[in-house]
Amino acid sequence: MKQLLNNRHPYMFIAPAVILLTLFSVIPIIVALVISFTDMNLKGLANWSAISFIGLENYKELFSDATFIKSVFNTFFYVIIGVPLVIIASLSIALLLNYGTSWIFNTFRAVYYMPSITNIIAVAVIWGYLYNTEYGLFNYLLSLLTVDNIPWLEEPTIAKISLIILAVWKGIGINMIIFLAALQGIPKSYYEAAEMDGASRLQVLFHITLPLLRYATFFVTVTTLIGWMQFFEEPFVMTDGGPLDGTISIALFIYQEGFRYSEFGYAAAGSFILFAMIIIVTVFQFKLQKKDTDL
Amino acid sequence: MMLLIVVLSAVLVGCSGGDSESSGDNNEVTVWAMGEEGKLLKDFSKGFEENSDYTVDVQAIPWDQAHDKLLTAVASGNGPDVVQLGTTWVPEFAEAGALKDLSEYTEDYDSFAKENFFDGAVESMEYDDQVVGIPWYLDTRVLFYRTDLLEEVGYDEAPKTWDELKDAAGQLADRGDGMYGLDIDRNDQITPFIFAWQNGYEAKLENNELNFDTPEFKEAIEYYTSYFEEGISQTQQGKDITQAFADGSKPMFFSGPWMVNIINDQAPDIEGKWATAVMPKKESNTSSMGGSVLSVFESADNPEGGMEFISYMTETETQLDWAETSNTLPSRTEAWEDPMLKEDEMFATFGKQMEDAKPGLQTEQFERIAQELLGSIERITQGGADLDKELESFNEEAKSLLEK
Amino acid sequence: MATATKRSKAEKSLVILLLIIGGVLVSLPFLWMISSSFKPENEVLAIPPTIIPDNPTIENYINLFTSMNFTVYLRNTIIIVLFSFLGLLFNAMAGYGLAKYEFKGRERIFYLVLATMMIPGQVTMIPVYLILNSMGLTNTMTGIILPGLAVAFSIFLFRQFMITIPDDLIEAARLDGAGEFYIFFRLIIPIAKPIFAVQGILTFIAGWNSFLWPLIIANDESLYTLSVGLSLLQGQYANNFALQMAGAAFMVVPIIIIFAFFQKYIVEGFTMSGIK
Repeated sequence: MKQLLNNRHPYMFIAPAVILLTLFSVIPIIVALVISFTDMNLKGLANWSAISFIGLENYKELFSDATFIKSVFNTFFYVIIGVPLVIIASLSIALLLNYGTSWIFNTFRAVYYMPSITNIIAVAVIWGYLYNTEYGLFNYLLSLLTVDNIPWLEEPTIAKISLIILAVWKGIGINMIIFLAALQGIPKSYYEAAEMDGASRLQVLFHITLPLLRYATFFVTVTTLIGWMQFFEEPFVMTDGGPLDGTISIALFIYQEGFRYSEFGYAAAGSFILFAMIIIVTVFQFKLQKKDTDL
Repeated sequence: MMLLIVVLSAVLVGCSGGDSESSGDNNEVTVWAMGEEGKLLKDFSKGFEENSDYTVDVQAIPWDQAHDKLLTAVASGNGPDVVQLGTTWVPEFAEAGALKDLSEYTEDYDSFAKENFFDGAVESMEYDDQVVGIPWYLDTRVLFYRTDLLEEVGYDEAPKTWDELKDAAGQLADRGDGMYGLDIDRNDQITPFIFAWQNGYEAKLENNELNFDTPEFKEAIEYYTSYFEEGISQTQQGKDITQAFADGSKPMFFSGPWMVNIINDQAPDIEGKWATAVMPKKESNTSSMGGSVLSVFESADNPEGGMEFISYMTETETQLDWAETSNTLPSRTEAWEDPMLKEDEMFATFGKQMEDAKPGLQTEQFERIAQELLGSIERITQGGADLDKELESFNEEAKSLLEK
Repeated sequence: MATATKRSKAEKSLVILLLIIGGVLVSLPFLWMISSSFKPENEVLAIPPTIIPDNPTIENYINLFTSMNFTVYLRNTIIIVLFSFLGLLFNAMAGYGLAKYEFKGRERIFYLVLATMMIPGQVTMIPVYLILNSMGLTNTMTGIILPGLAVAFSIFLFRQFMITIPDDLIEAARLDGAGEFYIFFRLIIPIAKPIFAVQGILTFIAGWNSFLWPLIIANDESLYTLSVGLSLLQGQYANNFALQMAGAAFMVVPIIIIFAFFQKYIVEGFTMSGIK
């Protein structure tokens, strides 16, 4: 009887979401994969008979496209520096916020969530001001310390770091509330027991809290990585990929090819290279996690 | 709570099932117009409804997403009857065959005749000998300058030539730290071409000649980049131009008609201290021609109604009303004879400038080519690349884009 | 709370001080957004930016409400939000199914769900549109709602949290003769309250701000949402920043209310004894 139930029920639970995802995500992705082997552009969109299959031509061209190569490099730069920063920052803030339950902490939860609900134009205007080389607040503060003006958005490497700071600032909110929710899942009795045993605060953190946050941390790491591999909004509103293509990311490159220039085939090919890279990184994380749980 | 949502949702599912495709009512003309214009057009089109058997359904579309929206319309054939297109988009959508060729109807509708419009606007109506759009309103770039500051460096009138412009701007930039002479928007795609046209550059697209290797073109880019190299124009992202114009740190810049209102609204303090003038001249004082055309979609349900509507919108009288409503520049030359435009000093400058104004190169690759050029210029002014070499590789790149 | 009393006052003050410094840093743009909505246009881009308007005005708000077809946009937005909560339920069910049942193809389906997060949305936009078009759903509310119902991020998040729920609890309920859906609604949802609260916030924000699909699918402004209406206020060249900030400030108010409402569940936690 139970066997029978278990056969039917899981499918009933997952069916609505999976059917919708298949229809509006999986099938379109397959269509996009097919498009990536064609020379489809606006003309082809209007008249499908004008599309021709060109095999791996788009992919070959991408690997000799200097802008694309640069965007791959930049994307890795963003991911390698940004992802650990976001995770550490949001976890630390969540731990601090979990410290108390008074109204002060309630208020701060809302405050730290604010960046993720602030209108992107307001973000661009204010950060544009903070980063302004001549009039910006950052350089003004630095000038008080007699430090020379820093070209926050005008030198390729510094501009990348500036965008990372902005994105970390913006990305903390959502991960913070996920960590906060996860922290509630840790039974208080664990802490009490540890305290009785005379464990130090750091020992509790490393031996109780962090291990029990394993599933949440794994989720945050995977989704943050996927999100940062598709780094888009910050360069889009702040620099449009400049200076000298110094901040262009793969997702921005795809957007420009696909929507600004209507080279759909080429853009689709670019996104499948990105897709492949994300899969490799994600599978690697799953492998690590499996090993972790075995231990 | 969850249960409540489920019940509520179930009810809503029931309700929304009744929506159906819009009916093929052939007395209705559907129009897609962009942003602010779209909103204004809704009321404005009542004038058309009164004078014809048609009703008009205007859908306003935000500028930033208009391109996406048009793509889906092209892909599905679910477009409107009439669409507003920025002039730079015309070649792209015409090449895709998304726009109806109106050339055989020019006899039926007087206001479609090419003679009605400025030369520069006529160029943007045509694609491959087809008439794919009728100019609705125009814009062009002119020189905005601070009369008081120019006077201080000995210019009672706006600079009239390249040399005068450079001289005046140079003097203004020497006023001190943080002071500039002329602001050039480095992200603007058309500005390098404006300089090039002024220097006698011309592309011959009918022969597939871009002519980026001509001395005229190279000289113009040298002139453009010299402003940055000599510190007359600001290389970094500085203040917002309206503010810099108001505080005098950037006393000259090129821009379009929309800027008049912005300055009036945002910098009322400098009223009477600034003016507009036609472009300074080298071989010519050519400027760019922009604006929007109205086109009939190839997949329109009601092309006749669409043409009827476009015809109404491009009549001289309607054009004058629309100019008043929306603060845009009419495309009909005849409208410019009207005292309303002739006697307004700001409008008059634009009217004069439009007699010598050109749209961007009429190829669907123009945006891309222009973006490549901006990239090259950035490498020259900021990356310190060699101008000759950069232009050479840009020329190669542009040629290969054109062959696509 | 037994531990709290043992912590020194000084330590708590330090934590609060740290939070305040960080709080100012993170909230500046937000405060600027609110204050700019009360500024006249010539003050918005002033350098340096002002947090307190020099010449406060409510003209932007008057402008905002008179220039928009407000009631229609609000109605559409609310419909979308309500349906997105139906989507939330689907996602929770899928997350539960993937976390707590053994069945054939489970891994594969899970990876497939994850894979849908890995392609930039821009690439699939046109195919999705064509699918909806072939189903005859363009220019309908259904067409706007459907593509956004199932969210891989959400399914994944539910799965990660529900996996930590002890199997014994579910087994015990089954032995008591509870049906599978009864277990899900009566046992699992209460336990997973914190994560439902997080998802509630995220779902509300996504629905409330929904922009692209209403715009792409609608061939009629009667299907536009508030976000689309606001973006119509932008010109091709000129941006009216003060008006946009008024729009943004208006849009964010309900989000803050929802956040305040849900956030207490995030930290409320659950106690094992409360379940039985």
